Amino acid sequence: MLKKISIKKINDLAAALMEKGTLLAPVKEAAGHNFAEIKDPQQLDLDYYNTIVSPKTVFLPQKEDFVRYETAKPVAEAQPVALNIKATFLFGVRPCDAKSFQIMDIHFHASGIIDPYWQQRRDATVIFGSAFDLDIPAQDADFYQTLGIGAADPEGSDVFMVKKGEDLLMKAITPQGEEILARLAMLGEGKPADKKYFEEYIKKGSQHQTRNMCLDPQVIAKKLEDIFHSGEFWQAQSAACLSCGICTFVCPTCYCFDICDDTLFSRGVRRRVWDACMFTDFTLEASGHNPRTHVYQRLRQKVCHKYSFHVRKYGVISCVGCGRCTRYCPVNIDIYSIIQDAMKA
Amino acid sequence: MINKNPYIPIPMKVIKIIDEVDTRDIKTFRLSFLNKEDEASFKYLPGQFAELSIYGKGESPIGIASSPTEKGYIEFTVMRMGTVVPGTVTSALHDLDEGAQIGIRGPLGNSWPIEFLEKKNVVVVGGGFAFTTLRSLVNYILHEDNRKRFGEITVIYGARNPGLLLYKNELAAWQKRSDIKTIITVDKGDESWQGREGFVPAVCKEIAPSPQNAVTVICGPPVMIRFTLPVFFELGFSKENILTSLEMRMKCGIGKCGRCNVGYKYVCSDGPVFSLADLEELLRDFATYK
Amino acid sequence: MTDFKQIENNLKKEAKKLLESAEVPVVLAYTRGYDEKHPMPFAAKSVADVEKIVFNEYCNFNMARYIMRFPDAAKIAIAAKAADSRALVVLIQEEKVRREDLVILGIPASGMKDPKTDQLIDSRTTGGLYNPVEYDILLGEEIRGQKTVSPYAVLADYEAMDKEARWAFWKGQLDKCIRCYACRKACPMCYCDPCFIDQNKPRWADKAPQSPGNMMYHLTRFHHLAGRCIDCGECSRACPVGIPLYLFHKKVAKECEEMFGQAAGMKLEDKPVLVDFRVEDSDQILK
Repeated sequence: MLKKISIKKINDLAAALMEKGTLLAPVKEAAGHNFAEIKDPQQLDLDYYNTIVSPKTVFLPQKEDFVRYETAKPVAEAQPVALNIKATFLFGVRPCDAKSFQIMDIHFHASGIIDPYWQQRRDATVIFGSAFDLDIPAQDADFYQTLGIGAADPEGSDVFMVKKGEDLLMKAITPQGEEILARLAMLGEGKPADKKYFEEYIKKGSQHQTRNMCLDPQVIAKKLEDIFHSGEFWQAQSAACLSCGICTFVCPTCYCFDICDDTLFSRGVRRRVWDACMFTDFTLEASGHNPRTHVYQRLRQKVCHKYSFHVRKYGVISCVGCGRCTRYCPVNIDIYSIIQDAMKA
Repeated sequence: MINKNPYIPIPMKVIKIIDEVDTRDIKTFRLSFLNKEDEASFKYLPGQFAELSIYGKGESPIGIASSPTEKGYIEFTVMRMGTVVPGTVTSALHDLDEGAQIGIRGPLGNSWPIEFLEKKNVVVVGGGFAFTTLRSLVNYILHEDNRKRFGEITVIYGARNPGLLLYKNELAAWQKRSDIKTIITVDKGDESWQGREGFVPAVCKEIAPSPQNAVTVICGPPVMIRFTLPVFFELGFSKENILTSLEMRMKCGIGKCGRCNVGYKYVCSDGPVFSLADLEELLRDFATYK
Repeated sequence: MTDFKQIENNLKKEAKKLLESAEVPVVLAYTRGYDEKHPMPFAAKSVADVEKIVFNEYCNFNMARYIMRFPDAAKIAIAAKAADSRALVVLIQEEKVRREDLVILGIPASGMKDPKTDQLIDSRTTGGLYNPVEYDILLGEEIRGQKTVSPYAVLADYEAMDKEARWAFWKGQLDKCIRCYACRKACPMCYCDPCFIDQNKPRWADKAPQSPGNMMYHLTRFHHLAGRCIDCGECSRACPVGIPLYLFHKKVAKECEEMFGQAAGMKLEDKPVLVDFRVEDSDQILK
């Protein structure tokens, strides 16, 4: 099913989606765009490159309350926090980020114990993917092509959107996508010329240049295992690293979290909060022992987790080449260059 | 969903607290389920652990010390950590009285590989406080329904001094049985100590269990493990037949939070029980510390 | 305008000399990152490393941040722009490093740019100095005759706000914080180990990125940098969500300067204002 709408009327579309559920889309903030709930249809803005923080926030919010308790009361009286999930439309997700959801699904959804929060949020959400504008060159930090993702790749989206002149073409990719498009009365039918344009755009998207190298998951996984003990390599790569958490927080596939109790005057909440392997205290044990005391060990953990451990455990690299970690690193550490150097090491 | 939520602890009642050692910093907590359905779904094997939870303090991963053959309750033996700085989960546990409620999440992790141990001779080697899940295993094997599925059982257990031995009554009972060989040793005895003196590795060497159709299961402080492993190599045990249980900073306990990974394995969900063959591959992450 | 190429060449020359003569085991400088616009802090440890050194208008990292990473090095050479040199002065005053253990390669530079915005880095977000205050070798011509604007001029709008407006302003700004801690990690003065916010027995603030914890973290950090912040602006440039942290630091720095007549890290012989007591000190702080 291919539908279309005039970009001028995009706010009508926003209003219609808001009637049917929660609409989340990139919203302009001081330093750039971030996914946020659209409260006013006029807020919907298609003029962005990508968001600062990845849309993983929608399924894995930085803080997730599990249970409310009172320390003076028996455990049995603690109240689990209800999720109250509403139908959600995640609008304007770039192809690399849509792909990241599939990678995260393997961890939260498809392996071992199911994470109920991830699953319920994911099940309630329709993804409206949006192609990068092929007339604008990809940003220097991006390398999604290396991970086999095209600039107009519909994979991972329920509905995929491509701009055509003054129109926005919207194609249903999954049954959920079909369903929602059928319910949006203001959409026009795509013409054969639109279909042709859409298909060609997607093809053209796979040629859209980002930084690119030939990368076989099994080969890089093995390579990183081989150089795991090369202190020299990792120390050189991490010489500038500040050991802050930006790279992991903006990343669409970093999921590590901590579980904390936050108590104020005997009332409290147990919740999970994002954590980062780059933080000094990430592996600090109650005994005071810390198996990763050096910056190089932490950066190595991050890189190897994505490009080696994840491949060994789940079969795929846990990186989509969105370039956020590189773009926001205060000292310009670039995971692409590290992988390139690792392949040569 | 709420009941099945793996992040939310189930309530349990502390029905008995046993002071295990002279130093009074290790207690065994016997817990009973508040809800029948929780009891029915809490099916565990020796070697598994659970997250003990005190709201306001947090959670702490603790090995299950009771055996699944004991019905109606589960037990955890907990050492008070951080006596200097109060506020930890373990010290909060130690401050509890019988009748109090705590939360637990579990059972978590793999277990001692029961099927793998069946029909084999099992050599259980423990040191000090790290005897809890080994006790679970021994009691499981000794249960009348299970005993005949296993070969000879040898237990070698040591502590710094007689006062620091856990489960003293049980050890005495084991020593009286003919279907288990129990060797208790202390680094240094006191006036009333009638038993053996000597470090665990030396005792293992002296006892020299046969590697024939045998598996050894070792838990103890790192220094004990370091010196005990070579003894078993020399005796001819293969790396696949030497098992141990790892401790890491586990948080979620279900392989999601990414904190306890060693290489591509999560200690909490792929472990905590690993064979030495597994560990040699994994522990590279830890080998270069300095 | 600064001749960046000339400084790069001088930097390489001096680094080579120092490493060749084994006078220092490490020279802290800059190298090329994934492209020219994104250089990286760099520790040159051999003569072969020297060729990798670069210097351009995007090399705005405060290299003093790295000075304590080499506990085994008897002596360290460090490329230091104005702000870096001020940071070094504070670190020397606070006895984190000894002056005689440093070879300061001073870099006079104007026209530094923020690669994220391509805007000029000047007194609006930093101390606005061009020449290092302390050095052993100066790698370029001292910059003279530049129009100087007070680093506190940018505070005009902020100071026009009343108490409530300021609180609302900071609450709004700090609510954006995602607690990645890049600000403290980029800060040359944030060397506490562990930082108070990482302590968990007791925990000083909630770990979740929400108002109370964010306030606790930032306000404590702001005040911990009172009289110590050398206004390099690294915290604000590091911030992924664009919180203008420099405003608070500037405000505190201005008050310190007014009360005690001394800006942080300007002279080696100064004592840090908040650990020094003089009878004639202003008692404004107590009011």
